[in-house]
Amino acid sequence: MLSVEVYQDAPVPLAARFDCKPGEMVALVGPSGSGKSTLLRCIAGLMHPARGRIASGERVWFDGSTRTRLAPQERRVGLVFQHYALFPHLSALRNVALASPRDDADSHAADLLARMGLGQLTSRRPSELSGGQQQRVALARALAREPEVLLLDEPFSAVDQPARHELYRELAELHRGVALPMVLVTHDLHEARRLADRMVIIDGGTTLQQGTPAQVLSQPRNARVAGLVGIQNHFEGVFFHGDDPQWGRLCWGSREGPQLLVRDKHRIEEGALVSWVVPAEFIGVHRSEPGGANVLRARLAEALPLGDIALCRFEIEGLRAAVQLHQTTAQLQRGELVVGEPVFLQFDPAGVHIMPRRALPAPH
Amino acid sequence: MDADAARVSLWLAGLTALTLLPASVWLARWLATSASPARPLIEAALLLPLLLPPTVIGFYLLTTLGGASPVGAWLADHLGLRLVFSFEGLLFASWLINLPFMVQPLQRAFAAIPRSVREAAWVSGLSGWRTFWRIELPLAWPGVLAGAALTFAHTLGEFGVVLMVGGNIAGQTRTLSIAIYDRVQAFDNAAANRMSLLLVALSLAALVIVFALGRRNALQER
Repeated sequence: MLSVEVYQDAPVPLAARFDCKPGEMVALVGPSGSGKSTLLRCIAGLMHPARGRIASGERVWFDGSTRTRLAPQERRVGLVFQHYALFPHLSALRNVALASPRDDADSHAADLLARMGLGQLTSRRPSELSGGQQQRVALARALAREPEVLLLDEPFSAVDQPARHELYRELAELHRGVALPMVLVTHDLHEARRLADRMVIIDGGTTLQQGTPAQVLSQPRNARVAGLVGIQNHFEGVFFHGDDPQWGRLCWGSREGPQLLVRDKHRIEEGALVSWVVPAEFIGVHRSEPGGANVLRARLAEALPLGDIALCRFEIEGLRAAVQLHQTTAQLQRGELVVGEPVFLQFDPAGVHIMPRRALPAPH
Repeated sequence: MDADAARVSLWLAGLTALTLLPASVWLARWLATSASPARPLIEAALLLPLLLPPTVIGFYLLTTLGGASPVGAWLADHLGLRLVFSFEGLLFASWLINLPFMVQPLQRAFAAIPRSVREAAWVSGLSGWRTFWRIELPLAWPGVLAGAALTFAHTLGEFGVVLMVGGNIAGQTRTLSIAIYDRVQAFDNAAANRMSLLLVALSLAALVIVFALGRRNALQER
């Protein structure tokens, strides 16, 4: 297992802690400049943080307290660089063979390239390969090292969209076939959702939250995480405890706003200002008023067609807030939803997730 | 044609290019990758021979290395070296004045290697030494050849420093450029012309090599 715990104040502030089990893919997700790549460089030994500990299984690669600092050559790390960093003067085969520690480095490299579907292109130089092919060579080189940990730094950013989907599939296949801890750095949430078992949300060098993509996206720890993971239906409100200890009241927008019945986990104080999110699958859209709680009147203000689906904006009556939901274009064509017409939105209390307004400090 | 002068010139130019190369590679690589605060000072000092009149450099070398100076006396007493009016002295002076011609193209070549390529080599398990031999030097190779060719051509054409430090001793320190001056002084324009043509041809060939390599390098980067 790879365990990472790094702290420093300058030049890039870091306060990050996560681990990655063999066979697991962890995605480090955050905006540009959030320190994701710096973390990866720390793991690879290309830079050393001020404090902390990085270990692969029993082997300690970095320990600030004992001044253990293994060089990159001593770490058995496979790293796929953002722009691949292939050796431009060497053939694909030589690029891969140089990283192989085996005596039969050439045949090892040829095997890996063949597995990547590049068996016919081994004698080509990087400049004679497409972006996707270069990415495969970079991946083969990282694997040739027979690494204990595989690190991928935005590996798809330099590949065009059609090739990217093919590479996603290949990486997912590799992930199933290789029992290595794999760390993927990305700013693309869809990529992280699609490929990773767990997500670590990073901002300003600090790990804000970690969990499965489903957990992070449905229960962001605070408003900053909700913003970073791009949750569309992210609102503010005021929270009150209810008569039943299991249920609380959420006033949307302000104390005077429409009320929603929500689960009370007794983590938030009475009358506290809160941020809250609700995933799309917990919002029902009805033309006539349904039975049950948490029904609000709204109006379909806009429908933006995106092929088979349309992004619909529903304005809540008496509120400035609008809920964004994807509906099928067929529903619009059949007249089930008409722009300008009223609808009823029903919010399932199980999906409403409430967070304190201020971001909590990261654990140290 | 003064065959001895041609031999001294070619020998001096070839030897300067060859012997200056290892230290220049080391220095250029350091300049290309170092974040040391001393770097601007060293870069400026390296360019100085380009700006100063060759006679100034020659004068200082003469006064520093001459038999009457403490350095010159020490070299003569302890190492048996005489660095004025000798071929060894010419070679030493050539090293100094050619440093910018050798180091500049090398430094540019090393600086053009992306940091990530060097780091990819380390992460692939290559030691610093192997990274240098297998990755950096082959990538900087056009710079190595350009530096050597420029140094060779510049040494062939050097006049002021050679005259000041080496004097004009036939077969030892009389180079083609000094022989041309000699012939013109003696109104032997035909001989001066032949030697001048030879210098033009050699220098042109060296420059063609530099530009051809520059072009090849640009093609590789595309």
